[in-house]
Amino acid sequence: MGRIIVITSGKGGVGKTTCTANLGMALARLGKKVALMDADFGLRNLDLLLGLENRVVYTALDVVSGQCRLDQALVKDKRQNQLVLLPAAQSRDKDAITPDQMKQLALELSQRFDYVLVDCPAGIEMGFRNAIAAAQEALVVTTPEIAAVRDADRVVGLLEANRIKTINLVVNRLRPAMVQANDMMSVQDVQEILSIPLIGVIPDDEQVIVSTNKGEPLVLADNLSLPGLAISNVARRLEGQKVDFIDLDAAYDKSLLARVRRFFR
Amino acid sequence: MNADPLLKPATSPVPEPQDTEPESEAPRHGPGPSSVYFKSERDKLLLTLPKPVEPNVAWLPLWEELQQQIRAGERFWQVNSEVELIVSDRLLDQGQLQMIAAALDQVQLKLKRVNTSRRQTAMAAAAAGYAVEQESPALPLQSAANAAPLENPLYLETTIRSGTEIRHHGNVVIVGDINPGGSVIATGDILVWGRLRGVAHAGAQGNPDCRIMALQIEATQLRIANQVARTPKPPAQFYPEVAYISSEGIKLASATEFGKNIFVPPQEAL
Ligand SMILES: Nc1ncnc2c1ncn2[C@@H]1O[C@H](COP(=O)(O)OP(=O)(O)OP(=O)(O)O)[C@@H](O)[C@H]1O
Ligand SMILES: [Mg+2]
Repeated sequence: MGRIIVITSGKGGVGKTTCTANLGMALARLGKKVALMDADFGLRNLDLLLGLENRVVYTALDVVSGQCRLDQALVKDKRQNQLVLLPAAQSRDKDAITPDQMKQLALELSQRFDYVLVDCPAGIEMGFRNAIAAAQEALVVTTPEIAAVRDADRVVGLLEANRIKTINLVVNRLRPAMVQANDMMSVQDVQEILSIPLIGVIPDDEQVIVSTNKGEPLVLADNLSLPGLAISNVARRLEGQKVDFIDLDAAYDKSLLARVRRFFR
Repeated sequence: MNADPLLKPATSPVPEPQDTEPESEAPRHGPGPSSVYFKSERDKLLLTLPKPVEPNVAWLPLWEELQQQIRAGERFWQVNSEVELIVSDRLLDQGQLQMIAAALDQVQLKLKRVNTSRRQTAMAAAAAGYAVEQESPALPLQSAANAAPLENPLYLETTIRSGTEIRHHGNVVIVGDINPGGSVIATGDILVWGRLRGVAHAGAQGNPDCRIMALQIEATQLRIANQVARTPKPPAQFYPEVAYISSEGIKLASATEFGKNIFVPPQEAL
């Protein structure tokens, strides 16, 4: 039985889909068999980020309505044959699928894959219910902003109420310089509120946007960018490895003086 | 960042009188029959579900609240205790009753009896194999509850997260934090063994002698009886504090100071 992990946040646009795509890829590179489930019905874009859009034929909805078999709907990645995507339906309405049906699909996938990662839509309505229905674990993604953290807190409460016990935190879009200037919440500030274990800190970096636009996950780059490395580290931590957190302060501190100072510390 | 970024810097420094918001109105109903509530009665546990506001829409939130209450008392349930479910006129189907039974079963509590004034719920319970007690429909005389004596204290070991609201007709003890966006409303005192950063309303039916105590008070809003205050900018060093009503409105005192100067034991007060 594979692990079913939902990637969720409450607030929209904080990086769930980015994390799901890259984490899936990173786990596949570690030799794991990974299925990605897009639970964002109506607004799917996991296929886009993976650069698989033009290969989607069937969707999860076709599977539950009996139009095709599950394995027919799975889109295999051309770069990583360990990775597949189960796309969400684009056109039809969000309520076309029920939590029970989602659960069924995820359980079936977990028979054949080491990881089933579910990309959750924003909000806490039906789409959220669908996405968490089968999950045994959750990654809560937030940016270091009050509103995002507030929503993440709400989501953690709902996950706990649904008896999802393993909940880990990913802080995305951190800008170390802003934190140092007291203009952004620190990772510690976020953790103090959410009080769940931290599994990743991903810097705000334009490489992420470049990769999104190209449909080429960060973790596939020959020369890993910092956000790419940060997400690979999340994958390794999920695998139980002990990996130190990157010193983002140092990495993003470009001034020579600071570098010299660091050298003498 | 050193200060908690979630808090608007408030008005006055610590034990100064607090801002009383002009629009603050006296609470109308107090906590009311609110939250899912466990209560022990001799040899069994009574599990009361709140009265439905609109017919049957609120099953999911109710279900989640129930799960939270079960979890928050997880260390204290006595194995194999029997549970009587009290649902007034709420409509529950067999599936929902089974979900409740399964949730109770996870902490080894046994659903035995269902007490309801609703015929369909009684039938569902009977069909699912529970003993059924069909009380007559409650009189619509809610105000009687206002004078009711306080329930046993509610002791919850959990973080009250954003979006969660705990209401209780009695004193409330939270072992954990009340996060921004979370709230606790009690007819009696509120004691937080943790950080209070959300909203706490003590004496919610108008009792001005009630208090709010926490290891760290950094609340979005404090309410006691019909008074409202925001907390001042938190001091650099935190210490346990007590919020109480003085002649100048809601005040904060450090726990040690409060114990020495302000708190008068009841026997001396006589
Ligand atoms: N670390 C980062 N640095 C810079 N840009 C980022 C980072 N993470 C995400 N983004 C950008 O933020 C935008 C939203 O990301 P994404 O689609 O992954 O969020 P989401 O949580 O899935 O959104 P939705 O709630 O709409 O599903 C994208 O344009 C993405 O490129
Ligand atoms: Mg998304």
